[in-house]
Amino acid sequence: MGNPNGFMEYKRQDNPAYTVEERIKHYNEFHTPISETERKHQGERCMHCGVPFCQAGLPISGMVSGCPLNNLIPEWNNLVSLGAWKQAYNRLKMTNSFPEFTSRVCPALCEKACTCGANGDPVTVRANEYDIIETAYQEGWAAPQPPKQRTGKKIAVVGSGPSGLAAADQLNRRGHCVTVYERSDRVGGLLMYGIPNMKLEKHIIERKINVMEAEGVTFKTGVNVGVDISAEELLSQYDRVILACGASHPRDIAVEGREADGVYYAVDFLKSTTKAMLDNGLKVGTYISAKDKNVLIIGGGDTGNDCVGTCVRHGAKSVIQLEMMPKLPDTRAENNPWPEWPRVCKTDYGQEEAAAVYGSDPRVYQTTVKKLISDENGKLKQAVLVKLNAERDEATGRLKMVPIDGSETTVDVDLLLIAAGFLGSESYVTDAFCVALDSRTNVQTETGSHQTSVDRVFTAGDMHRGQSLVVWAIREGSLRELSQSD
Amino acid sequence: MSGELESRGSHKSRSGKEEHLYNPQTIHALQAATRNNDYKLFKEYSRMLNEEMQPVSIRGLFDFNFADTPTPLDEVESIDSIVRRFKTGAMSYGSISQEAHEALALAMNMLGGKSNSGEGGESPERLATKGTKHNRCSAIKQVASGRFGVTSTYLNSADELQIKMAQGAKPGEGGHLPGMKVYPWIAKTRHSTPGVSLISPPPHHDIYSIEDLAQLIYDLKNANKKARISVKLVSEAGVGTVAAGVAKAGAQVILISGYDGGTGAAPRSSIYNAGLPWELGLAEAHQTLLLNGLRHKVVIETDGKLMTGRDVAIAAILGAEEFGFATAPLVTLGCAMMRVCNLDTCPFGVATQNPELRKRFMGKPEYVVNFMRFIAEELREYMARLGVHTIDELIGRKDLLKKRDNLSPREQQIDVSAILDNGLDDMPIRYDEKDPYDFKLSDTLDEKVIIKAFKKALREGKSAQIEIDVRNTDRSLGTAFGSEITKKYGENLKDDTYRIICSGSGGQSFGAFIPGGLTMELKGDSNDYFGKGLSGGKLIVYPDKKSRFKAEENIIIGNVALYGATSGKAFINGIAGERFCVRNSGATAVVEGVGEHGCEYMTGGRVVILGSTGKNFAAGMSGGIAYVLDEHHHLYKRLNKELVECTELSEQKDIDELKALITEHVEATGSEKGKRILSDFDAYLPKFKKIIPHDYRIITEAIEEGKQNGLDEDSAKIEAFYQLIRSR
Repeated sequence: MGNPNGFMEYKRQDNPAYTVEERIKHYNEFHTPISETERKHQGERCMHCGVPFCQAGLPISGMVSGCPLNNLIPEWNNLVSLGAWKQAYNRLKMTNSFPEFTSRVCPALCEKACTCGANGDPVTVRANEYDIIETAYQEGWAAPQPPKQRTGKKIAVVGSGPSGLAAADQLNRRGHCVTVYERSDRVGGLLMYGIPNMKLEKHIIERKINVMEAEGVTFKTGVNVGVDISAEELLSQYDRVILACGASHPRDIAVEGREADGVYYAVDFLKSTTKAMLDNGLKVGTYISAKDKNVLIIGGGDTGNDCVGTCVRHGAKSVIQLEMMPKLPDTRAENNPWPEWPRVCKTDYGQEEAAAVYGSDPRVYQTTVKKLISDENGKLKQAVLVKLNAERDEATGRLKMVPIDGSETTVDVDLLLIAAGFLGSESYVTDAFCVALDSRTNVQTETGSHQTSVDRVFTAGDMHRGQSLVVWAIREGSLRELSQSD
Repeated sequence: MSGELESRGSHKSRSGKEEHLYNPQTIHALQAATRNNDYKLFKEYSRMLNEEMQPVSIRGLFDFNFADTPTPLDEVESIDSIVRRFKTGAMSYGSISQEAHEALALAMNMLGGKSNSGEGGESPERLATKGTKHNRCSAIKQVASGRFGVTSTYLNSADELQIKMAQGAKPGEGGHLPGMKVYPWIAKTRHSTPGVSLISPPPHHDIYSIEDLAQLIYDLKNANKKARISVKLVSEAGVGTVAAGVAKAGAQVILISGYDGGTGAAPRSSIYNAGLPWELGLAEAHQTLLLNGLRHKVVIETDGKLMTGRDVAIAAILGAEEFGFATAPLVTLGCAMMRVCNLDTCPFGVATQNPELRKRFMGKPEYVVNFMRFIAEELREYMARLGVHTIDELIGRKDLLKKRDNLSPREQQIDVSAILDNGLDDMPIRYDEKDPYDFKLSDTLDEKVIIKAFKKALREGKSAQIEIDVRNTDRSLGTAFGSEITKKYGENLKDDTYRIICSGSGGQSFGAFIPGGLTMELKGDSNDYFGKGLSGGKLIVYPDKKSRFKAEENIIIGNVALYGATSGKAFINGIAGERFCVRNSGATAVVEGVGEHGCEYMTGGRVVILGSTGKNFAAGMSGGIAYVLDEHHHLYKRLNKELVECTELSEQKDIDELKALITEHVEATGSEKGKRILSDFDAYLPKFKKIIPHDYRIITEAIEEGKQNGLDEDSAKIEAFYQLIRSR
């Protein structure tokens, strides 16, 4: 172990970000790395805990604390501090197929659980991971390493999101012949079209896909399993089928006037921007634009924030983001100590940018849409908002948000984006394979298993556990419990 | 696939690898439960341990034979009564911070349980809070091989005196305190040198046999007759035999410590490869004592990862009457099992002395109180279901325990019959307070003669003197009277206030632990342990004037004289045996020759030797100074040079000090050799050697320099400490 006093000697140093003014001019990632010496110091801050909460990935007070992939964080932090980048990469890839994705988009459960964070700032685990994987690519260590032997087994993976890719990677490494089916025109699922380029530049996905292809994985895009190719056909061609189609069924809002022109799901909005950017460099008219529009975003989560950031870049006239729940405190409340997940108000890049551009935080709390008003052409014109009050449900003991009569206000809205989460899997695939579902329309399995109700059909990712984080999808797709596939 | 080695997850846990009882979930649940006084969450914590961690421990193989008719819970012994049997582990001030150490003491005193000082001493300010509302004085005072800060006051502040024979996690090794944790305030409490690692000797230098242990028990009983004497043993094969010996030696409490105990700074080779679980040692000790008809003479205590009420219930059934907890209380105070106790970097301010990190300590005694009460409550629930009313009814009731039903085939192969089917069902099974060991203290010279003779003088604080004859069966002479002085006046009475002039042959532990103000003069000779733990008193010994041998050529006192002395003076007109002044941390002694291992592990004080030394002189010496008259040039070969340097006396203050001490020696004993040296001092001076530890010299000089630069004493010490640490 390195310097035991590192956490006292060095302060946390985040990667510096470009100014808002600078970064909203483009759709690229906007952090710059720190020097190698500084990065080593950040590695030295790791305390090498006897019980490292960062890598545990266990529920604490109902929320998972630490890395679901059980990344060997203290070990590679130490290797970073020593400048042993190759060894660090070797240990990182033991548990994580896609550090290039997690080091960009993960909300870093590890850092929330980091013991350094109990009294001060946590270790920059995610940025350390970023430097490890980027160094690995630069040095050629992440080059393709095809399996030396093939088992002769053929496996189809349906869906090329993080869980599908993880499954493909793991199964290919074990020597199986893997084909990944993707209904969209590009591989990556939500990584490609759900997450904006500002957070994950798309050439990063391409870089990894190229490696995987060189290692023997076949990708078939534009093939919608269950529509373009039947379940029977797939099962006749492959020994196993892994369903990793995500929880792509978005939650709708049930309000009067929902049918108005100008109402979109957040994923569709984000996808159109990314697709146009990749296809034609955002030629006007090829994507859903927020330019000069009054935008209302429903949902205060990460996707809502991505919509805010995208709208700012489009040049929206105004942006409002609605959150039903009350604003969280800025720092941990007394009843929410480390190592619990911090229930604090997080201001993400999009909100920061909106605040800088429009002069105020776009978020409005304890508010929802009551009604949408269209003009004579059916075009969205206004939205009636209503304030909500938190009340405790006598029966369940849960907090319930109840509209306050008379609190209605009307705002001008040209574009409404629904970022209210996802309900579960889409039925056309599950119907095609006749797999049993649970009450939340996730594909049903025994706890800890990936075997569906149908022989030779397995499932992983959001389709299995419901909507969640990329890191969970990777864990799911790593098929740790899927010993049957060997 | 990548060719990378898997992590083992043994010392530093890793998900999916070796199971750890303390994992993120149990740590969080325990902390949240005790902070919020949330018994429901505590039950969740114990559920995780009892259900999910069953394969980790021997007790995980057991299940209870619950009663058909449970006892109504409100008829079971109360929490308040049960917690009196609870103790916190012996974690020294030094290993843990002042904040953590005091929180444990406060909590246990609030509960009526007992906290344990560990072996690092305790500051006089804290000892003085005994009996007050804000009682920070540990009820158990440990006497370990290092004897750090074991003064008469320290011993008299105890309700229980614990002799640590070994530690569960590292049997056979002494305590380790790395130099970087020996801050000036720790060094002060321990009477040692700041910045210098303290490694307690593996053995007690006054215990090489069970008889020696009996003598130490006797010494301590004399030093504080109200205290129970406890002996800490560790779970190992054969511990039953040792326990039987300890019971016969007069101990009232025997602690069987399991290998799972913390000892964050223990060497890893010991943590993983030494010791046994408490279940084994406890069962063996209990059974051996039963078989030998000794069980009723002692209270059996156990510790070493007692974490839940279920653990305590099983310990009681296997024979334990009292129960120790160490890691769990620390976790309630903020410990998150960093396992950096040896590095002084504990980020929760628990196992560190770094003032910046100590500011982070967020523990409160109430959390420990809550923990103890939760354990007691959970224990009560088990007692109710087992159909008993009191803990006394539970002790040794192995019929209430069985092998679990749903064991895996591998677990089933473990033979636990030696624990569960011992055939010792109908014997008296617990401590009988009506039949304690009889030390026959009322027959001692102290009780019969000395205390009575000084009664009036002691009450009035006037000086007095008596003359008595002694025999070598008068053990620990003066110790009981010394205890009376300490209780009344502390250790700082004016020198020679009370004088006992003895004639004859002194027994073992002559003048042990005597405080300042008491002078014992012996015409004759004395046995081993002369001046053990001297605490300010003065000891003088010389041959009877009628004797015809040359004093300087003959041994006058036995082995292990002045072991663990903390202050005071001793003038010995003759040669001392082996291990003279081992672990001396502040006493001044003049002697005319010593045997082997002189001044070993010494951390303070002055020793003048007007004759030759034996081999291995000054081994492990990290403080104090020895002046040796090296007439025949043997010293260089006999000196253990690992930590010390051997120089001429060049500085005037050293010369003055030496001369003054020899003068005092001659005045006290009439030493012929002393007179000869003084009469021709300039000729003798070049033959003297000064033995001083390197680090001690460096830090002493740095402190002096700081003071010359205008720093006060404390600041100079801290500055010197940081200088020393940084220079490494």
